Amino acid sequence: MTDAMQFYISTLLIYLFIDIMGVLGLNLQFGVAGIINFAYIVFVGVGAYTAAVVSLGPDYPGNFQHYMFGASWPFPLPILAGGVAAGLLSLVVGVISLRRLRSDYQAMVMLVLSLIATLVASNATGLVNGPAGLATIPQPLYDQLGLNPLEYQWVYAGWCLFLTVLVFLFVRAITRSPLGRTLRAMRDNERAASAVGKNVTLLRLVIFVVGGVIAGISGAVFAEFIQAWSPGSWLYPETFVFLAAVLVGGAANNWGVILGTLLVPVGFLEATRFLPPIFYQGFIEAMQWVCVGLLILLFLWFRPNGIFPEKPGRFKPRATAQSRPAE
Amino acid sequence: MEAQPKPILAVSDVRRDYGGLKAVDGASFSAMQGRITGLIGPNGAGKSTLIGIIGGQIKPNAGSITFDGRDITGLAPHKIAGRGMVRTFQLSAEFTKLTVLENLLVAAPDQKGESLLGAELSRLYWGRNEAANVDAARDVLDRFEMTPKEDELAGNLSGGQKRLLEIMRALMTKPTMLLLDEPFAGVNPTLARQIEQYLLDLRDEGLSMIMVEHELAVVERLCEPVVVMAQGKVISEGSMRDVSARKEVLDAYLVG
Repeated sequence: MTDAMQFYISTLLIYLFIDIMGVLGLNLQFGVAGIINFAYIVFVGVGAYTAAVVSLGPDYPGNFQHYMFGASWPFPLPILAGGVAAGLLSLVVGVISLRRLRSDYQAMVMLVLSLIATLVASNATGLVNGPAGLATIPQPLYDQLGLNPLEYQWVYAGWCLFLTVLVFLFVRAITRSPLGRTLRAMRDNERAASAVGKNVTLLRLVIFVVGGVIAGISGAVFAEFIQAWSPGSWLYPETFVFLAAVLVGGAANNWGVILGTLLVPVGFLEATRFLPPIFYQGFIEAMQWVCVGLLILLFLWFRPNGIFPEKPGRFKPRATAQSRPAE
Repeated sequence: MEAQPKPILAVSDVRRDYGGLKAVDGASFSAMQGRITGLIGPNGAGKSTLIGIIGGQIKPNAGSITFDGRDITGLAPHKIAGRGMVRTFQLSAEFTKLTVLENLLVAAPDQKGESLLGAELSRLYWGRNEAANVDAARDVLDRFEMTPKEDELAGNLSGGQKRLLEIMRALMTKPTMLLLDEPFAGVNPTLARQIEQYLLDLRDEGLSMIMVEHELAVVERLCEPVVVMAQGKVISEGSMRDVSARKEVLDAYLVG
């Protein structure tokens, strides 16, 4: 295989693994718990910015970019910081918006939050360098490993795979547990869940923060890979790409949403990259958004449960009637 | 000599208005332990609002509710459920994409695998607790002859089966009192008769209930005493035979 091909494939795998992480987090919030988080990409963005500023080193006068909280934390602290920062933001947003509002209003709040966050990051230039964003984010352990760029790519892909497996196991432990069942119950009928004793506000908040942490970690790993991060990287439509992956693959089915990630953010958006340019520069990119929207609509219309629908819990049949104590 | 029934729930001068509309306007009554208290009245009398206030879904503007000797006014629904009072809803409220068995399991109290930490500690930590809950849920299914439906998605059940599922699910919490909001609405007569018998059995085992119901024949068979509401107030209390003869009750039903 040529080096260029290897570069391309390793990059694609890294994107795939990072997107799977992000989609697993959104699936937990939306597919399992029914929280309509249209601001999901904001938490990815916060994770990315946090990892960037704590690894870029302190800002100094005359620097070509300006940012807050500059530091040079060693690997893997920037990734953890990204998760923690996104989790904290989730906690604040969740406490404000998830307590009393009805879910349709929550969805509106999230969408608005996404727009506001972009405006703040773009206009408060001292925060994370405004619209130009941050660049030259150091790749973790690049100097220490002493690999050539291609080797480093493969190592990074392995690192992403490792993290993705961790996230998958973490998420699956939730979805397979009584907690996952209670979350699905809350999604299906919140009033009834609270009437049988479930603290739905707390459950929503917990899962909103957990999803936020996963989003933050995926953003951190992504920014450290591409070494740059700007408001253009996390515009609100990006959330809908993730959402499309969840809906196409099958909400509340972890394997389903992994397939969805393979199909939508990676397969669908990547394949169109090779189309010959038609009409004008940027036409294909614009059409991508149209197609993502159409894809969501088509699936909601014709296959609302996705390719792999949610699987209800199955239980071993009762051993025998005799095994129970006689009364 | 029959033991004097003890009041388990006391509703005292409860009020709730929506703008100018006084949905519940100073309602007071008490429900006795081990009895099915009927709550009847014409449409718009405030029965469902009152049930919602007792269950914690609706906050009252004034008044107090005492359950089992403790004040529960304005508590969140899950806390009221934790105290042993669980309600069902006028419209079916099943967890549609969960199986019948899962619907019951959700309601099991104090599940080990229901916290984030518990879930992450895996089946090794919560497996035994879960197995015990599955057994308990299957006992409930057996009792209500719903065992064949165990793996059916709750959303696919008939209207009557959904109502029964809701009662079974409430029982999983080991309640001391049920609030039933029109438990027979949309249930075919055969199943309705069966549910009636189940409720009577539960009552005989000591479970207290409050039941909102429109079908007066059903109320007469099950409920003692009966509380009559009209225009947000309790206008009469007593046995069905007594209240149905009273002028204010007849007026309310005719005018209402």
